Amino acid sequence: MKLENTKAQMRKGVLEYCILLVLDGEPLYASNIIQELKEAKMIVVEGTLYPLLTRLKNAGLLAYRWEESTQGPPRKYYELTDKGRKFLGELEGSWAELVDAVGKIRKSRA
Amino acid sequence: MKKTFTINISGTVFHIEEDAYEVLQKYLVKLKNHFGNEEEGKEILADIEARIAEIFAEKSSDEKRVITLLLVEQVIETMGTPEDFAEEEGEDEEEFVSQPKRKRRLYRDPEHRVLGGVCGGLGAYFNIDPVILRIIFVVLLIITSIVPALLAYLVLWIAVPKAITTAQRLEMRGQEATVKNIEKSIREEVKEVKESYKKFKESDTYSRGKKKVDGAGEVTYNVFRLLLKVAVVVIGVILIISGFFGLLGLISSLIIGQSFVQGWPLIWTPEINFPDFLNYLVEPGAVKSGLVTVGFLAGIPMLAMLYVGSKMVFRYKSNNTAIGLGLVGVWLLSLIALVVISTSQISNFKNQASVVESVTVDCDSCQTLYLKLAEDKYKGYAAQAWDLNKLKVMVVEGDRVILGNPRLDIDRASGNSFLVTVKKSSRGRTREIARDHASDLVYKYQVQDSVLFFEPYFFLEEGDKWRDQEVHITVKVPEGGTVFLDERMVDIIYDIDNVTNTLDGDMVGKYWEMKPDGLTLKELAE
Repeated sequence: MKLENTKAQMRKGVLEYCILLVLDGEPLYASNIIQELKEAKMIVVEGTLYPLLTRLKNAGLLAYRWEESTQGPPRKYYELTDKGRKFLGELEGSWAELVDAVGKIRKSRA
Repeated sequence: MKKTFTINISGTVFHIEEDAYEVLQKYLVKLKNHFGNEEEGKEILADIEARIAEIFAEKSSDEKRVITLLLVEQVIETMGTPEDFAEEEGEDEEEFVSQPKRKRRLYRDPEHRVLGGVCGGLGAYFNIDPVILRIIFVVLLIITSIVPALLAYLVLWIAVPKAITTAQRLEMRGQEATVKNIEKSIREEVKEVKESYKKFKESDTYSRGKKKVDGAGEVTYNVFRLLLKVAVVVIGVILIISGFFGLLGLISSLIIGQSFVQGWPLIWTPEINFPDFLNYLVEPGAVKSGLVTVGFLAGIPMLAMLYVGSKMVFRYKSNNTAIGLGLVGVWLLSLIALVVISTSQISNFKNQASVVESVTVDCDSCQTLYLKLAEDKYKGYAAQAWDLNKLKVMVVEGDRVILGNPRLDIDRASGNSFLVTVKKSSRGRTREIARDHASDLVYKYQVQDSVLFFEPYFFLEEGDKWRDQEVHITVKVPEGGTVFLDERMVDIIYDIDNVTNTLDGDMVGKYWEMKPDGLTLKELAE
């Protein structure tokens, strides 16, 4: 049992939730999302994000539109779809439950 | 100053130093292998490339946009390698794609294109200036009267994928110079074979049994694989060449009316001059639609040969199922259409009719008739290459003349005088049409006293089609009458009955008398 593995497993579970969370609001393009996630230390390498974005988009939770950029190529701006918003709502519920559950267990041991 | 390349990443042009280029190329190929070749993988890769371009644009601040090795390494660190993704995603069982062998693949080059980027891509593949290839292509266009070379180009245009992602563009260019590269890959291949053979020998010396079989298997496998690779390329080249020349032959024979690759050795080409040939057989409308269907029927397999051949040689990936199925559909439709057209044409042969003219030879005192062949006016003219049943086509002073050989028989006359019967027959859709065709036939003979001059040919009226026309001449000889067959009559006499069953060839040059039991050789008394 490696510590790194367990950590990664934990992060992986909430990564999708975090992406949806970041996108709850105005549309963002990949770099913005990366910045937020990096600041929060959710991801280390950027390459992780792209497959997730594509998969979430293909699952119908996200949509994107192209926007011209003054520097470099046009950018994909991602935003939540209605389905994504509903999905996020459910995730928030289960996250709260999870935090609650972990909190309770920790408290009883303390 | 290091050597730099110009590359295009996600629509932005960068200058990249050689060592940086190598590293970036390896990285992108690795990513490509990781994400796979499906739609999703392509999209992810395109996104990552866009991001890389963005980082490059941000960090290579100077106007020239030179990408250094350091910058590439930074980018790789920021973006992460497939191993990193696996770690972050917690997929510990991620299969690590082995160090990618950067194989050259054929792509169309959208950056160096005039039309579809085929020449550009081929240039990158062979490491030659695309301009040279374009010149060769234009020359081919001119020699092949445009269509075949154009079709070959279109096949490649449709079949060869466009290099869209940077990884593909890098793959398109492969490694260093081509000849060296090929040599290198062959040497590697040979080395692999040698090594596995060595392994096999070692295992044989040290241990016997199962390993031995494995080793032997591996050696055979490697040798076999090497041979197979060479065979595939050779077959591919043969397919390309024969497909191309097949098209060339087909199209030139369809359009120009003759195949000008007839003389090419070893290469199969359709050698019949379709339009010419068909014009004498069928209605003009049917000729055109027939030609189109024949073109599709023979042309589509040749296009397929070009496609398969080029795929075998260049090993590009392509996904054109719809076009392929479409062509198969067109091919089947053409087959059906041809069958329909043919059946409608065959009905033109349904009925037979004939017209008979009998003329009494006006020579009461004649006891002997001399049968001679008139002068062959067409001897000097070359007949066209083909021969339709008994008909020939001759070109006489620019006009086409269709001739046939009549057949002459000798029979007993019911009356007391010599009689010449000319029976013209033909086929047609209806009896009336057949009769019209028959009466259109022109056949002449001349009577001078006791000498009959028969023309060696009968003629079809201009514009008439071949409908199995025939002319049968019967010379009726009264009992007691004699005929003399001139030597040259051998050309037209056909199965004349006589009492001695003498063959036609032996009947000429002799006198024959009609006796009660049949035609008898007349011994000359004197």
